[in-house]
Amino acid sequence: MIAVNEVHKEYIDGETHVRALRGVSLKIEGGEFLSIAGPSGSGKTTLLNIIGCIDNADSGDVDIDGDRVGGKSKKELTEIRRAKIGFVFQSFNLIPVLTAYENVSMALSLLGVSDAENRERTMALLAEVGLEGMEHRRPSRLSGGQQQRVAVARALIKDPLIVLADEPTANLDSTTGEAILKLMKDINRHRGTTFIFSTHDQMVMDYGDRLCRLHDGLIESDERRSA
Amino acid sequence: MSARPYRNGRTRGGFFLALAMKNLARHRRRTVITAGAIAVGVAVFIWMFSILQGFEAENDRNMSRYETGDAAIMGSGYWDERDTFPLDMPVEDPEAILSLLEAEEIAAAPRIAFRGDLIVRYDPFPEDGSLQRAFYGIDIERDSRVFALSEAIEAGRFLEPGNEEVIIGRWLADQLGAEVGYPVTVTTRTRDGFYQIMDLEIVGIFNTSNPFINRHKAYLPIAVADEYLEMRGAVTAVYLSLPGMLPADADPGPVRELLSEFDGIEVLGFYRLNEDFAEVMEMENAGTAIILILLGIIAVVGISNTMLMSVLERENEIGMMRALGVRDGEIRWMFTFEAAGIGLIGAIVGLILGALLVWHAVAVGIDYGVLMEIEMDFRFDGVLYGVWHFTSMIAAAVFAVLIAGVVALVPTRRMLRRRITDSLRHS
Ligand SMILES: Nc1ncnc2c1ncn2[C@@H]1O[C@H](COP(=O)(O)OP(=O)(O)O)[C@@H](O)[C@H]1O
Ligand SMILES: [Mg+2]
Repeated sequence: MIAVNEVHKEYIDGETHVRALRGVSLKIEGGEFLSIAGPSGSGKTTLLNIIGCIDNADSGDVDIDGDRVGGKSKKELTEIRRAKIGFVFQSFNLIPVLTAYENVSMALSLLGVSDAENRERTMALLAEVGLEGMEHRRPSRLSGGQQQRVAVARALIKDPLIVLADEPTANLDSTTGEAILKLMKDINRHRGTTFIFSTHDQMVMDYGDRLCRLHDGLIESDERRSA
Repeated sequence: MSARPYRNGRTRGGFFLALAMKNLARHRRRTVITAGAIAVGVAVFIWMFSILQGFEAENDRNMSRYETGDAAIMGSGYWDERDTFPLDMPVEDPEAILSLLEAEEIAAAPRIAFRGDLIVRYDPFPEDGSLQRAFYGIDIERDSRVFALSEAIEAGRFLEPGNEEVIIGRWLADQLGAEVGYPVTVTTRTRDGFYQIMDLEIVGIFNTSNPFINRHKAYLPIAVADEYLEMRGAVTAVYLSLPGMLPADADPGPVRELLSEFDGIEVLGFYRLNEDFAEVMEMENAGTAIILILLGIIAVVGISNTMLMSVLERENEIGMMRALGVRDGEIRWMFTFEAAGIGLIGAIVGLILGALLVWHAVAVGIDYGVLMEIEMDFRFDGVLYGVWHFTSMIAAAVFAVLIAGVVALVPTRRMLRRRITDSLRHS
């Protein structure tokens, strides 16, 4: 479903060249719950950004849904992200002037879903992520964990092909972080949504059904684990 | 996949409009200050435009009511030589023209304009003993149909036909120390070039709203002028009052048509008669334009600064939205809506403020009394009144909203050129 093939990425920052990815290959099937683990600077963010079509590889291919991403225009990539990819960010990144409900329904508005359907789906999903009764709060009146639940709902609402979560627990305490992981895993079980999340936290990476270890821009190990 | 699989403009457009309006409330102080700058710009524009229009209207009215009428019939070539007050290119047979015009119910007044030296006797006087002034022989009855001079008599009375008498302006009277009843001597030349001396009595002093008249002109009965200047019935011009709300609206075309049989004359419209002012008005307009451009720059700098701050401080948010698949065009619209919203607040407040200023300018006016001490060719007196000019008011408001919206594109464009990953790392 998603195929990453021999992807290289180098950053040039003045005199220094940083080889963030040095030939990464990875196949992700629908319904997987994949954790990408590695120390800081190992290339996790770079890999997720390339899979998420917000960054491009220097060489190598990424196929999404059988569709080669390399060579597509900025506009085409925008449309792919709009319809098929959900993001969860480390720092939640909600729009502060919008309520929880509006932050989530925004993603459906972008797809032109009618207000009635949008409302129904958004309310149901907010309840599913445990935010019933908090729909009309703005982010400033939500805890970090609650905000990240809104972000998860925002990523999920459009039934994306894949949800990419770059260190989704890094700004949360361990209990709250675990709860978010549990939530994502539940959704993965229920709905069959594909998740890739990155972390450098041992406890968190253990949630993955499959664990890829990244080190210095190379995949060090790739193992499936029984739930 | 196809580039744009989903279309539902209303839902999306509505979303970004709503978001933009919410973003307006993020920094209330900043929004208020920027909108305030725009409001001041809009209000000052509206006010200046009102004053300028009032000034032009008053100038036109004073020209029309005291000097040029709405149109004039003159001997061919006379207009170009008017500064020398020639008597040798007159309208030879005014009565024929007048009866034709009057049959068509067009108000017309013949006048004989000439230059002469005015001497007030029995009075201490400047060394050279005289002042050069313009004199007009006027047809007492007909003159009032075109001009308002007879309504402006402040002391004494208006002229009576055939008497050897003169009326002068208040300003000139004060300069000369003259009063009603004083005898004056006017020396001039006849149509044939001979020296002539007239002894006249000041019977009235007028004070019109046209300061130029009050300073520079004196009037006497046309029969007296005709006799002393040996005009043999000819006049230097026949002035017309034409229908139309404003002098500038008057169309001399029909009169031209009516008089096409007559040789040696031309019909001059109001624009032609006011061509001296066209240039000055243009300069005046250019000055106003410069002020307006300055105000516009203040508003543009204000809004672009505000929008730049908004865009920069929301870099992370913009990166997030782009990652979620929000199109560049939608982000542009969002910031354009936001800036136009600031523009709209400014425009509405500016309209209200501007309307108050115009109301004051219309009702109370602006006292230019001090300026009047300076010799000016403009025909307005002391207080300047504004006029209501709704088109300019609406135009100013619409312009403010549009400009604000367009200005927002600059910082947005700059932001959209950044890479999404760079924007996301920014926090
Ligand atoms: N925009 C950039 N410019 C320069 N170097 C970068 C940039 N982004 C990432 N890097 C470098 O690339 C390497 C991989 O970074 P990243 O993918 O963010 O790793 P991780 O998410 O695992 O911490 C790091 O050494 C990082 O400093
Ligand atoms: Mg990272």
